[in-house]
Amino acid sequence: MNLIAVAILAPLSATLLIMLLRRFPATLALLGAAIGLVGSLELLANAYNGLSQEIILPGLPGMPLRLVATPLTALLSTLVAVVCTLVMVYAVGYMKKDREQVRFFATLLLFAAAMQTLVLAGDWILLLSAWELIGLSSYLLIGFWYRKPGVKSAAMRAFLVTRSADLGLYVAVFILITNAGSSDIASTLNTSGGPAIAAGLLLLIAAMGKSAQTPLHDWLQRAMAGPTPVSALLHSATLVAAGAILLIRTAPMLAPETLLVIGIVGGVTTVVTGLIALAESDLKRMLAASTSSQYGLMLIAVGAGVPMAALLHLIAHAAIKSSLFLGAGVFQHSRDSTMLDKLQGVGRNQPKIFFGFALAALALAGIPPLSGFFSKDAIIAATLSSDHIWILLPLALAGTLLTGGYMARALRILWLKNGTSQPVSGLAWMGTGLGGLVLLAVILGAAFPGLELLLESALNIRLTENTITRFIPEILGLSAALGGLLLGWFFPVQVLLGPILPWAKRGFVVAGGFDNLMVRPALAIAHGCEKLERLLYKGVLATGRLGLRLGKAARRNDESGIDGMIFSFVRGTVNLGGKARTLQNGLIHKELAISTIASAVILVFMFIVLLTY
Amino acid sequence: MERDLALLIPEIIILLTVVFALVAEMLRLPRIALAIIIAGLLLATVQTLPLLDVNTTVFGGTFRIDTLSVWAKLILLPATVLSLLLARAELAGTDREGTVYVLVCLVSLASVLLAGVGDTMVLVLGILLSSLGSFALVAYPRDDFATEAAMKFFVFASVTTSVMIFGLSYWFGGTGSTLLSELSRLDSSPVVAVIGLFAVIIGLGYKASLVPFHFWAPDAYEGAPVSIAAYLSVVPKIGAILAFAQIVRDLPITMAWPLIIAVIAVLSMTYGYLAALVQNNIVRLLAYSSIAQAGYFLLGIVAVGTSPLALPSLIIFSAAYAAMNLGAFAVVMVVGRTLETFKGIGRNKPALGVAMVVFLLSLVGIPPLAGFVGKFLLFGAAIEAGFTWLVVVAILNSVLSLAVYLRIVVPMYQKQHDDSSVAMSTPLISLVWVIALLLTIAIGLGAQLLFGQLNEYLTGESLHCATSLSYLS
Repeated sequence: MNLIAVAILAPLSATLLIMLLRRFPATLALLGAAIGLVGSLELLANAYNGLSQEIILPGLPGMPLRLVATPLTALLSTLVAVVCTLVMVYAVGYMKKDREQVRFFATLLLFAAAMQTLVLAGDWILLLSAWELIGLSSYLLIGFWYRKPGVKSAAMRAFLVTRSADLGLYVAVFILITNAGSSDIASTLNTSGGPAIAAGLLLLIAAMGKSAQTPLHDWLQRAMAGPTPVSALLHSATLVAAGAILLIRTAPMLAPETLLVIGIVGGVTTVVTGLIALAESDLKRMLAASTSSQYGLMLIAVGAGVPMAALLHLIAHAAIKSSLFLGAGVFQHSRDSTMLDKLQGVGRNQPKIFFGFALAALALAGIPPLSGFFSKDAIIAATLSSDHIWILLPLALAGTLLTGGYMARALRILWLKNGTSQPVSGLAWMGTGLGGLVLLAVILGAAFPGLELLLESALNIRLTENTITRFIPEILGLSAALGGLLLGWFFPVQVLLGPILPWAKRGFVVAGGFDNLMVRPALAIAHGCEKLERLLYKGVLATGRLGLRLGKAARRNDESGIDGMIFSFVRGTVNLGGKARTLQNGLIHKELAISTIASAVILVFMFIVLLTY
Repeated sequence: MERDLALLIPEIIILLTVVFALVAEMLRLPRIALAIIIAGLLLATVQTLPLLDVNTTVFGGTFRIDTLSVWAKLILLPATVLSLLLARAELAGTDREGTVYVLVCLVSLASVLLAGVGDTMVLVLGILLSSLGSFALVAYPRDDFATEAAMKFFVFASVTTSVMIFGLSYWFGGTGSTLLSELSRLDSSPVVAVIGLFAVIIGLGYKASLVPFHFWAPDAYEGAPVSIAAYLSVVPKIGAILAFAQIVRDLPITMAWPLIIAVIAVLSMTYGYLAALVQNNIVRLLAYSSIAQAGYFLLGIVAVGTSPLALPSLIIFSAAYAAMNLGAFAVVMVVGRTLETFKGIGRNKPALGVAMVVFLLSLVGIPPLAGFVGKFLLFGAAIEAGFTWLVVVAILNSVLSLAVYLRIVVPMYQKQHDDSSVAMSTPLISLVWVIALLLTIAIGLGAQLLFGQLNEYLTGESLHCATSLSYLS
């Protein structure tokens, strides 16, 4: 059996099984995720050996649906599968007390299957479908606790924002397909000139929506309303990553102008959301803001023309951020809150978890020899080799500095003071999932040279150019990270941010923010539609009534004699039988007359048409 | 000559079958007659298969062997077999049972002739043969209802057919030939062309029970045995519609004939469903529904000559219509003729209930059933021909039709006070509705394949059609 099919179908069939059986959701989910993981790993192993696989399914005429396992897609698929499996392990513990495990695991697996399809998709149409599917399933997951206040609106917001940005993807795909005459992603990458710039910018819009880039970053923080495993999954390797993956995969096509725009968007995001993270008073929201910030860094790398660096950071970040979220989930269970005030000193109650959390935090900040160090180093090296070094390098360094700052602040709050915690159930499951991810976050850096080699030889992705020795970016990155950590640890946030603190706390809302720009108009249109629908409904009802009346009239016309005829017929058979015949003859005459008149009308109509034609 | 006869093998087989069956009937062996006819029809169907990619005419252009007529045989002959099974279940043991089978077979032969009509005289022959057999079939029960219905049918047929023959004489006068392929000569004399077309509309409008020539249909269906009603609503009707398609293929487009046919389509669809909305007798309801469905067929006729989708859509909808209508009538045979008898049937006989729901939803045109695919293609053809307004009307009528068919579905799942038994249930009827159910689903799912096949035979430019199809979806 084809391994691509295994990677996608294993989680999908687990979803279906869970929905059908409605029992053992956790076991089935783990099984589905694990089998999918095996498939993905085999794919990656094949890719190492230079084998790439492809499935071609019948789709639109001339545009078959393709699934391809190139080194890049196999690597991404493995990443998704690994994170999904570990998060699934964690979720078994996290959701132990929840009654709706069936719905939870079914949706989570559906999401995983959709994400696998997205990364393995070899043509735009399948990619679009998968893109929509992850949009839908993330909506369902964010809104999982839909009875809680605010959750529904958060899910709705995530959906609206990402969907409105998705329009960019649709138009871009349209441009690419019409331009290349094929829906195959690989062959559309040869697009150049005006269409390439337009499509690139439109893809950027789609990526900005999904990867929560400024000014569309607001939804991600609100999406924290979902269960923590969901946040961990959405933020690390999947939903949010989809935007960056899109840009990485289309990187060969992006024009220099587009690259500059991408770099600037990423740079602005990394600074803005970094500041927000620094000011945030809720742990999960802080992590969410940090996600936006890290994806900003990846966009800088793409903008600098080195998607490889972005990819490395994406992989490192996936492991790191899911560890951080999983740790946060344990803290949340032990204090029943995610507010930093309430979480003070929680690290002392859960020292093992805190240790993992701290390792991941240091990795994110970029401390050697943890994985984040290598990937950040690659990004900074990328900006050094870029044509726009003076724009991108400072932004990247500022992003690194801020990362150190907010992570140190969080660690300080979680560790210093004392507080009381309640015991947490399911800790074994959660600890296992977390441990696996932290391990990855720590050691992944060692695998990077291998990955670089694999992708370089197979894909011809431009590799970090060694024009400048690695020494300079290492020094720059490390000093920024250390500086950030020290600042964050020793200075309170009021001092660091000064007058812009309140503004940062509100998420740098400009002009009423996304609410005024997008959500309110969208809701207004929705209300308008509702009114229109009511109107239409009334109209339909009226039409229906009219139709019934017409029907009755038609019956009267058509069969005015029928009822009477049947009565008389019965009477006639009982009495004589002759009367019916006369009645029935009369009826035929009447009907023939109607037919004759109607055909006369038709004849006249035909002549009129003939004369005027 | 030999070539012509070789191409007509299916028709000749049917004719011989009729003769043999008649002999068997004279010997009072109705079961043998039925067996002969079913075997003959199936043999004729099999013999049609080698003709699939033939596109020619026989006997000097009077009869066409083309995709339309070949597929008509592949659809109508199996449909006839299914109807015969129903008839056997309903009429077994009655006096002169075998004549029913013989007549049905003759009417099918006429319908097949109509589907390949290449000459006005073949048209007249087909309509007369089909009508004469149908009168006798409707009158078969020999009770007052049936006699009255047959009489009415006869009067209607006589009037419309004579008008048609009269009008066709204008075409003959105008072209000097009875061949349809000569009709393009009428370009210069539009009045003659219009009178002839008017005649054809009346003649075939009666046969296909289009408004305003439909009056006979509900009475005839009600008076006839249910199996015969099922047969009449499918086979002769499809034959007449396909004859229509054969004729308009040769009409000069300058006559604006599509507009007239579009108007009749609107009348048939709307009037049929409106009248069906107030029926309490299921057979009458299905009669009016078949009038409306005939209107949908016209959407394909309108597009003949302008859209490459037209002929494939007509063929696919014919197959779909045959399957779902026969299925619905078969269920009516099991359950009974009035809405009242349908109460609670979905609870007492779940399989039968599900089948009926599938047939009715397919008649409405709900995906993924056969009716949806057929209507979808018809709509596509009409849109390609520039009749978007007609498609809008058709879709509005589909909404209306949902109300019509739900009137049957809703009582089926109501609670029923007494546990009344069904009217008639034999393995034969069950066999028919199971086959119809499978076909309704299979055509819906397999239409893509079927469509590709048809395109290959029809135009050879399947890519064009496929792209227009994808454009529509």
